[in-house]
Amino acid sequence: MLKKKGILHELYTNKILFLMLLPTLLYFLVNNYLPMIGIYYAFVQFDFNTSLFKMDFVGLKNFEFLWKSGKLVELTFNTIGYNIVFIFLGNVLSIFVAILLNDIKGKWFKKISQSILFLPYFVSFVILSVIVFNLFNYEQGVLNTVLQQLGADPVDVYSKPKLWIFFIIMFYLWKNFGYSMVIYLASITGISEDYYEAAKIDGANAFQRAWHITVPMLKNTFVILLLFALGSIMKGQFDLFYQMIGNNGLLFSTTDIIDTYVYRSLRVTFDMGMATAAGVYQSLFGFTLIMIVNAIIRKVNKDYALF
Amino acid sequence: MRRSRMSAAAVAVAMAVFLIAACSSNNDSARPGDADGKSSSILTSRTEGRSGPVVLQFYMLGNAPKDLPIIEERINEMALEDLNVAVKFHYTTWTEWDQKYKLLLSTGRAVDLIFTSDWAFYQQYAHQGAFMALDELLPLAAPKLQAFVPKEMWDAVRIDGRIYTVPSTYKEYVTGGFIWREDLRRKHGLPTPVDLPSFEAYLEGIRQHEPGIQPAAFGSLVDSSIQHAYLEVERKAVGPMPYGLYASYDKPNEIGAYWGTPSHLEDLKKYKSWAEKGYLSKNVLNDPVSMQDQIASGEAAALLSDNPTRYNAMLSQMQAQHPDWDLGYTPFGRSTGYATPVHPMHNGFAIAAGSEHPEEALAFYEKLVTDERYNRLTQYGIEGVHYEVKDGFYHALDKSGFEREGMIGWAWRNPDYMLFEPSYERVQRIFNELDQIQKPDLYTRFVEDYTEYQAERAALEQVVKQYLYPLLAGQIEDVKEGLAIFMEKANEAGLPKIQQSYMKQWKDYLANGIVSNQGEKPQ
Amino acid sequence: MKIKEESSTKWFRLIAYVVVLVGCVLCLLPFLLILSASLSSNASILNEGYHLIPKEFSLEGYRIIFEVPDDVLRAYGVTTLVTVVGTLIGLLLMTMAGYVLQRKDFKYRNVFAFFIYFTTLFGGGLVPYYMLITNYLQFTNSLYALIWPGLMTPFLIILMRSFITSAVPDEVIESSKIDGANDFVIYYRIVLPLSVPGLATIGLFLALQYWNDWFSSALFISDAAKYQLQFYLYNIINTSNFLNSIGAGAGVTLSEGVPSESMKMAMAIIVTGPILLLYPFIQRYFVKGLTIGAVKG
Repeated sequence: MLKKKGILHELYTNKILFLMLLPTLLYFLVNNYLPMIGIYYAFVQFDFNTSLFKMDFVGLKNFEFLWKSGKLVELTFNTIGYNIVFIFLGNVLSIFVAILLNDIKGKWFKKISQSILFLPYFVSFVILSVIVFNLFNYEQGVLNTVLQQLGADPVDVYSKPKLWIFFIIMFYLWKNFGYSMVIYLASITGISEDYYEAAKIDGANAFQRAWHITVPMLKNTFVILLLFALGSIMKGQFDLFYQMIGNNGLLFSTTDIIDTYVYRSLRVTFDMGMATAAGVYQSLFGFTLIMIVNAIIRKVNKDYALF
Repeated sequence: MRRSRMSAAAVAVAMAVFLIAACSSNNDSARPGDADGKSSSILTSRTEGRSGPVVLQFYMLGNAPKDLPIIEERINEMALEDLNVAVKFHYTTWTEWDQKYKLLLSTGRAVDLIFTSDWAFYQQYAHQGAFMALDELLPLAAPKLQAFVPKEMWDAVRIDGRIYTVPSTYKEYVTGGFIWREDLRRKHGLPTPVDLPSFEAYLEGIRQHEPGIQPAAFGSLVDSSIQHAYLEVERKAVGPMPYGLYASYDKPNEIGAYWGTPSHLEDLKKYKSWAEKGYLSKNVLNDPVSMQDQIASGEAAALLSDNPTRYNAMLSQMQAQHPDWDLGYTPFGRSTGYATPVHPMHNGFAIAAGSEHPEEALAFYEKLVTDERYNRLTQYGIEGVHYEVKDGFYHALDKSGFEREGMIGWAWRNPDYMLFEPSYERVQRIFNELDQIQKPDLYTRFVEDYTEYQAERAALEQVVKQYLYPLLAGQIEDVKEGLAIFMEKANEAGLPKIQQSYMKQWKDYLANGIVSNQGEKPQ
Repeated sequence: MKIKEESSTKWFRLIAYVVVLVGCVLCLLPFLLILSASLSSNASILNEGYHLIPKEFSLEGYRIIFEVPDDVLRAYGVTTLVTVVGTLIGLLLMTMAGYVLQRKDFKYRNVFAFFIYFTTLFGGGLVPYYMLITNYLQFTNSLYALIWPGLMTPFLIILMRSFITSAVPDEVIESSKIDGANDFVIYYRIVLPLSVPGLATIGLFLALQYWNDWFSSALFISDAAKYQLQFYLYNIINTSNFLNSIGAGAGVTLSEGVPSESMKMAMAIIVTGPILLLYPFIQRYFVKGLTIGAVKG
């Protein structure tokens, strides 16, 4: 462990740096660490008339509802599965498009197309769900209107759970890839022209330059996005799932994640303990995962590790 | 060097200013909080309150009317003179209202008066000690109010033997009834829906004659919009009991399981046949458009169930756009033979357990209910500005500033001072009819204590949505098999345990009139 | 132009144009549907669904919202103020933090980075946070309640750290140190100018986060004069959800009536409109900033 004297000495030598960091540290201390006391709610029976630490300790009782439905494994599996796909496809797509965009020379085309690709990020899922219902609903949806005009049978999209795996992923990408694309674009901008010039002289073609220079240079950014995505792998994207699926139980088997499950289950109760318990489960899972992944990254290349 | 140190200092100062300003920011509604809930906040604000008149924090659900500040000012002028109190009205809006309600009552916020209702879990909150008992306070602080509300009503809102809310005395019915497009019925000579068979016959007629119109609209929460409505009209349920339990109004003591029984299967098959015939939309579970909107816009032709007041509102909304359209209404009471007026718990106001000024709060609420000036001002706005009275009826003058009941004052309606729009006659006629067959509400007052089985309860909720909803919406091919799967999953989630406990509580309630207080209620 | 381009470059560019163009169409279509719906009459939306071109042109959605324009206009003001102030303060603090955390000679940078990152993994939940804001910080009904919660995120700090790392080589900092510049001067004179694309990105994200926030209003504001713009959109939607779920069984009638579909869509457009202009504005900073050579030389 670190010695106390060592820290003080270090902080004194770098006092300006430390002062610059101090407001941020204080902010997180107050805004995030202080409320963590509330994790204790997960272990007590909530009571309006006493303070937190005087409530009855109930052990793991608040966690019971997670496995009572017999769905914990399935939910965990769904949640992780979707998020891995999101992380993988999301990054591949945004890196791909960012590289292409960077190479486009038409000034206006570049500007306008960039803005348009970023547009879906502004459409909230509540609004998107209304549009999606209009595309797919059985009686009047755009899809079935077209199908009927073509002489085909209408399709009841809302009763086909497998199909929604695809839709959910598609809507996720549609809405979110613009965000990470902007991050990658900014990173590409930071890559020095010198590398490309040198490669050109060595006779590398455009594809080779993209693959051998741009992609490796984005590794750092990718690792950051990855670590943050993994940390919240058990949370994330509640709105996407909840707004698209709503109360349609037919689709739950493939589209229910921990967050939606907890939300639906706890709507009927106002028990603080159970909600906190679900959060603790998600946090512990993400924490364990991230410690492992970070350790691996540290082993491979220390500079990329988050901490 | 010099410049840099200056800018460093400047930044540091700027940050410090921000932090200090942030920390010491004061505002009109919050009082100094404390580390562990209420205990010490009482001390701090007691001393603070001495300096001037007491400011009551008044919380209401829903959206505030635009002219609320004007009304608040006028109310405060009167309240300062009459009682030496001022009031601050807060509205939660409908966004996250249930979360906020919980947060307000459980985090030591200064709340004096707060709206209560059965659908806002009055019984549970009262049982768990979120509200202050009013029994001793009432005669001291609000004798007039105590006399104004009939004794039966006070008794009806008792939880564990104590009064926790001031009930509204306005008598209305929120029982269900068939709603249908009357102009279409006349056009095609269809039968008038008076009971389920005639309702189905009407839907069939619409399906045949109006292919572009959805015969009936249902909300996406099919357990209330289909199951409970159906049980109300067809099986005379005593109330919308949870967990698939059922008791009839006539024999409430004979409570038993409904889910998984032959009658349940029969009913599910009925819904399935509706879905097959296209009476209800195939995607009812995902439909984001409200039922009312579907009727008013002409997308759908009928509703299985809604209450008289909403029927009237829908009709007015529809006729504003399409004067030649018409809606018909048959209350379920006509086929079931009885109707229950709204339970006094439906609208009320409570004093939060942590309130520091309960006497003042109650005295102010007394004014709000029993003083015509307070009441009219908070229900209809300023006469001559927001509304006028013509031939004894309410006429809006400035709807965007303050609509009728713009402060959502359901709870402090006083029948003596109420003003209605001319169209209210339609509602009144239905109410008069229902008055002839009225019977008391046996169900609402029951307080369920689910401490024992809250894990099972939460788990069951998910099972219901996943396996029962599609059955209710008629989306499962093999109903019998679907029901078997649902029952299996529900039993796994702990349904029998929940039902056992609920039935026992229900029987105790019927036997004693008061739920025995066996559930752990920590002191 | 200059030298003739190799064929691979041409192919590359062709693919780029095609992919980007297809992407643009996919991204634009739903947006156009919303725009068109906001310009349609409510009845035509309900009866005929959404179309790219309004079936029955109508401004009723906008008319209802702007019948009383004060609310929306004031909300614009609140959101703009919160976004500008929050973004500026947040950027200042986060760039400083990012800079410090990437300084290799700052021994405990990883400890502090972990201290910050850890908050993304664990949280106390809503109740304690609500108590923090209302009871301890006492931000209820003040603009601080809108600015404070989103001021800094671990993600943006770490991202900033990485942008600075790649934009400012260690040698530059080393040599400035030898020249006698203190750590803040290095940050102010060298690091900031070199990290312009990173600043623009982080600033953009922070601004968007403030602009899209509605939850802070929902929880901490009960004074209608301080609602954020997005909150109006969510409240319209939630009001109709409420009427759908609770209303029927409970016999709740609202005098204000049910918000219509075209009104929802109009609100969606009103809410997103101005912020769309921010991105093109930010784009100009996505050029190669000052090169390292310029500083070194």
